[in-house]
Amino acid sequence: MLLEVRDLHVEFRTRDGIARAVNGVSYGVDAGETLAVLGESGSGKSVTAQAVMGILDIPPGRITGGEVIFQGRDLLKLKEEERRRVRGAEMAMIFQDALSSLNPVISVGDQLAEMFTVHRGMSRKDARAKAVELMDRVRIPAARERVRQYPHQFSGGMRQRIMIAMALALEPALIIADEPTTALDVTVQAQVMELLAELQRELRMGLILITHDLGVVADVADRIAVMYAGRIVESAPVHDIYKAPAHPYTRGLLDSIPRLDQKGQELYAIKGLPPSLTHIPPGCAFHPRCPLARDVCRTDEPPLYEVSATRGSACHFWRECLNG
Amino acid sequence: MPDGRHEEEQAIAGTGMGGTMDLGVDEAETLEKRPEGPDGSGPQDKPRSLWSDAWRDLRRNPVFILSGLVILFLVFISLWPSAITSGSPLKCDLSKAQEGSQSGHPFGFDGQGCDVYTRTVYGARTSVAVGVLATLGVAVLGSVLGALAGFFGGISDSVLSRITDVFFAIPVVLGGLVLLSVITSNTIWPVIGFIVLLGWPQISRIARGAVITAKQNDYVQAARALGASNSRLVLRHIAPNAVAPVIVVATIALGTYIALEATLSYLGVGLKPPSVSWGIDISAASPYVRNAPHALLWPSGALAITVLAFIMLGDAVRDALDPKLR
Repeated sequence: MLLEVRDLHVEFRTRDGIARAVNGVSYGVDAGETLAVLGESGSGKSVTAQAVMGILDIPPGRITGGEVIFQGRDLLKLKEEERRRVRGAEMAMIFQDALSSLNPVISVGDQLAEMFTVHRGMSRKDARAKAVELMDRVRIPAARERVRQYPHQFSGGMRQRIMIAMALALEPALIIADEPTTALDVTVQAQVMELLAELQRELRMGLILITHDLGVVADVADRIAVMYAGRIVESAPVHDIYKAPAHPYTRGLLDSIPRLDQKGQELYAIKGLPPSLTHIPPGCAFHPRCPLARDVCRTDEPPLYEVSATRGSACHFWRECLNG
Repeated sequence: MPDGRHEEEQAIAGTGMGGTMDLGVDEAETLEKRPEGPDGSGPQDKPRSLWSDAWRDLRRNPVFILSGLVILFLVFISLWPSAITSGSPLKCDLSKAQEGSQSGHPFGFDGQGCDVYTRTVYGARTSVAVGVLATLGVAVLGSVLGALAGFFGGISDSVLSRITDVFFAIPVVLGGLVLLSVITSNTIWPVIGFIVLLGWPQISRIARGAVITAKQNDYVQAARALGASNSRLVLRHIAPNAVAPVIVVATIALGTYIALEATLSYLGVGLKPPSVSWGIDISAASPYVRNAPHALLWPSGALAITVLAFIMLGDAVRDALDPKLR
């Protein structure tokens, strides 16, 4: 395993009490593999990623337990300076909104070149040449001329390509992409995802794709981890999930995708709202919204049951769910 | 009728043709020029920064030009007072005490028979020196401490903010009377030190707020995720976006520091004779203001104009740097 997260717990101190954002998340990614982490806002998918990257705001955040094993060492035990060296060079992150993720007052070429001057100690001239090379690689036309331009002079898709170029600059072993296409047009989304998937194959990187877009996931992911209220509720190879979900929450998500053959009918929506992280329901956190909920769900928190060798579901009644 | 119509149609067709031909030429020209345009090397595409935008605004602002000229003049006479006066501020002739304006002495004489014009010119040096040096000290100390508090947050922020509150609570004039009365040195340094000591919390608060705002930008988080160190984050990504409000407040504060120096000198705890300062002159002239009002008016007027010039400059800079006011 390239990266293995084991039983990670993250809390935030807020005015309303302690918000338990991540409650025992475990997942792993191999080199060349794509793991999609799926979930609503507030399900803890981004916080988990920030804890892995080490960019969580502490305080108010706090990692209260677990391990993040990356290439054989526990990142949570490293000193901040050592972690900083890992960031960018060995693991990198792509953010949702490329316009706000690029510094507006520094030209894109300089921002790309900085990856090389800071981490590799390259001269400015060599780094500039590398920046042009990178922009070519992510297929930005006229890279040699555009390297001097500023972020606002690029379109949304082009900016996201620049973010991808920055993340890939030092050929890290792991990329975490936090909703990389959410801010883009549908047509551009496909191009950017395609580019990301292609570069990932080329460089044999592990990719963690954080998203709430099931359409994006189906095309590029190898495995899916579905998160709810800070826990993984289902983890499975991508085709298994689309064929037959083993958790009522996953089923709810799949049923709420608009489909052409249901034109004119009402779109399914999971009833209720995601729980407040300061007051997570006892037992299974999903039980107030679950069509299969019974008494046991209100009292006993389901473990991640083994559905098959590659698949797990945190539902007491996963068999029932699997059979529809 | 049909003939006329036909002609009309022809005419329209003709202009149409001409139109398209013209259009064709235009297009060819723009195509030839195009290689420069979208690549960003064309002049219109040159990105305008906050600073160049602000400069463009300032150049057209009469308030900025006027206050800028006053300040340039002040700086000039502080550096070379002998350029506009040949006398010495310390050469006094008691026999001429309180005499009014006369040839060679346009502002008249003060109570000690010193030339008011020369003393007013030399007084600018003290005021500008105290104002500029105190502002530099305040800006450096205040922004470093404020940036540390804003960037690291948590305990360091709480501690620094409480220290700021303590210094805010010291009344300026009372503090000056107490602290400076025990110092015997008759240079500008104790006054500057005192102003820095009491002035830094103001800048520190501004800098802290600006850094907290700049820190929340996504690109700071992104730079961190790509391995930028804390010092790099602050200097390259945060400082350029937090420095504008500090500059504005510091410019306005400069004017008030000049007034504060005059106040302290007036009270006898700032500079003392034989130093030359507007505050000292105002203090010396006030007992006999009925007999010789000119000895009070000229240094007071100079002080008022100087303070006003810096405050107006600060205002103009703030208006230019705040995009919301455009």
